Amino acid sequence: MPIKLPAGISQRRFDSAIRELQEIVGSEWVFTSEADVETYRDSYSIRWGHDDEYFASAAVAPASVEEVQGIVRIANEYEIPVYSISTGKNLTYGGAAPTYSGSIVLDLKRMNRVLEIDDKRNFAVVEPGCSYFDLYEYIQSRGLKVWIDCPDPGWGSPLGNALDNGVGYTGSPFRDHWGAHCGLEVVLANGDIIRTGMGANPNSESWQDYRYGAGPDVDGLFTQGNYGVVTKMGFWLMPQPEAWFTGTVTVPKYSDLAELIRQHNYLEDSLLLNGRTTFGSAYGGFGGGGGLREEVSALVAGGWPTTAELDAFVERTGQPAWTLQMQFFGPEKSLQARWDYVQRRISEAIPGATFGDEEMLTMPLSPAQETTHRRVDFGIPNMSNYGMMARRPGVIDPPDGHSDFLVVASRSADSVHRFARTNYEMQMELGLPVTASPFATPVTWFPRFFLMGAAGIWTQHNDPELNMEGRIQFEAMIRKFSAAGYPNYRTNPSNFDVLAEQFSFNNNALLRFQETLKDAADPNGILSPGRYGIWPKRLREDRA
Amino acid sequence: MKSVTTLYLIITGLAAFSGSAFAADVARGENQFEYWCATCHGPDMQEGRYLAGTAALLVKYDGQLPGALAERTDLAVEYVKFVVRQGSEGMPFFRKTEVSESELEDIAAYLSRTDR
Repeated sequence: MPIKLPAGISQRRFDSAIRELQEIVGSEWVFTSEADVETYRDSYSIRWGHDDEYFASAAVAPASVEEVQGIVRIANEYEIPVYSISTGKNLTYGGAAPTYSGSIVLDLKRMNRVLEIDDKRNFAVVEPGCSYFDLYEYIQSRGLKVWIDCPDPGWGSPLGNALDNGVGYTGSPFRDHWGAHCGLEVVLANGDIIRTGMGANPNSESWQDYRYGAGPDVDGLFTQGNYGVVTKMGFWLMPQPEAWFTGTVTVPKYSDLAELIRQHNYLEDSLLLNGRTTFGSAYGGFGGGGGLREEVSALVAGGWPTTAELDAFVERTGQPAWTLQMQFFGPEKSLQARWDYVQRRISEAIPGATFGDEEMLTMPLSPAQETTHRRVDFGIPNMSNYGMMARRPGVIDPPDGHSDFLVVASRSADSVHRFARTNYEMQMELGLPVTASPFATPVTWFPRFFLMGAAGIWTQHNDPELNMEGRIQFEAMIRKFSAAGYPNYRTNPSNFDVLAEQFSFNNNALLRFQETLKDAADPNGILSPGRYGIWPKRLREDRA
Repeated sequence: MKSVTTLYLIITGLAAFSGSAFAADVARGENQFEYWCATCHGPDMQEGRYLAGTAALLVKYDGQLPGALAERTDLAVEYVKFVVRQGSEGMPFFRKTEVSESELEDIAAYLSRTDR
């Protein structure tokens, strides 16, 4: 792979910039060889092997905030864009690759410290290169009684994951990782360092207690954005609970989903149900892919069924339509009381509802329980989910990557069912195998909103044509679902511009505002150009 | 004979020289392996923990080789280094800011050790 320089930058100018970067971080931490730069490709890229795959020109790895400032100064001087990554493991959403070819990757992995943990006020402050494994180990080795909330792959960065609106599996206030952050330190494009919220008061001791400070809250600019390089972030942590409880509600009729979701929302918003929930169906569930029963396929083959037809179908086949698994955290007596209340409340609301699969565990898990339970539900980072990518019996040519397709839906059965029908129509229109199911269930990782999943795509390094097929399909899906009111909550870099287009209220006024801010805060357009569709002025003009 | 002896001296001399800066260390390699690799390639399958790398290699070699990398006796230094930097199937490649060259030498030394 020949290294591509940033557009408009001569080799001589580039080499001069590299020499200055070497003076700042040491030559060992500036990577320019083809072999080294190759490791900054996105291993899961749906553009893998295509002419317009995103490539870095080099990478630079600072060890301190001061070095980040120096790098930003040089990027401005030479007008060479830098693309910041934390651990670089945000696979499916870009990995370590830039979104604008020729950028120098600003690799923050070496800045990997846990700066502060407090298990009395229950927070942590970390640097970008600190992984979930690192943070967990730090807490465990000191015997602190706080939990982290981690996504499936434990090698990711709490800071980076929060900046991309990542999500986990423990208590409701903590699963939305951005929602659980408190306080940022950011290096701006002009080299200034800001601390947000109470951190802007040099004497404050409440940087990780109160997020907003006074005046406009700017933190949101740094999620999925390119207005600065975040070098520190605070997180609220859940105190280790005394116990965990799970139980499952089963409801008989297809049309019961509407009331089941209303009950779910009441319990969640009342903070009675404070752990993760999982909707399921004996007839498939989730996106419908893979789990679609033959009977459902036959039903759908005759056209999309009505609710009355689905109620009759469920009654005929005899299996209850829906399940809802609930998880709770707290003292044992409180958990039992809450479950008693859930049973009483839902029994009154939904005739025929049944309850089962109850389990109560005191915390922490024993080593034996860690092997039998899903560890991320208990804030224990691991890599088990990589099994979806692994060679296994019957899968001798596993994929090299995947790109997930998850859109935002509102918390109602109408929204869930309309998504399923949209998925069906989209698959018919694109000539895809019909996996859409009327029994599609919402993904409830985040509190307060649903995600709905459609079939994502697999990628192969040795099959650019397959990747192109997936790429075309993925873009069409974004447009189709957004037109129906279901935009994605995040996506792969290949589709950043396409997704940004979908937020088009008032002639894309939001994006125009974001561009105005970008031009003011980063006039040379050196910070992560193109991230989530936000381009600096000079590159917007090139692209027009 | 003389030339062979000379060659031997040159090689050992290089090794001695490299020892100060680059000598791979099996013990360090084991620590690095535990930190970077064992979360997917560890030996814990029998304890009920699913490890994607160990499970995949059991299938790949149809049980003829151990799934856990640390139990393998056929791994060469260069092969280990190649896979870490190039990736393999769903396992992505690792950058030098994650696993440095010297750490990679240590991991490769650990996985290819012969004193067992």
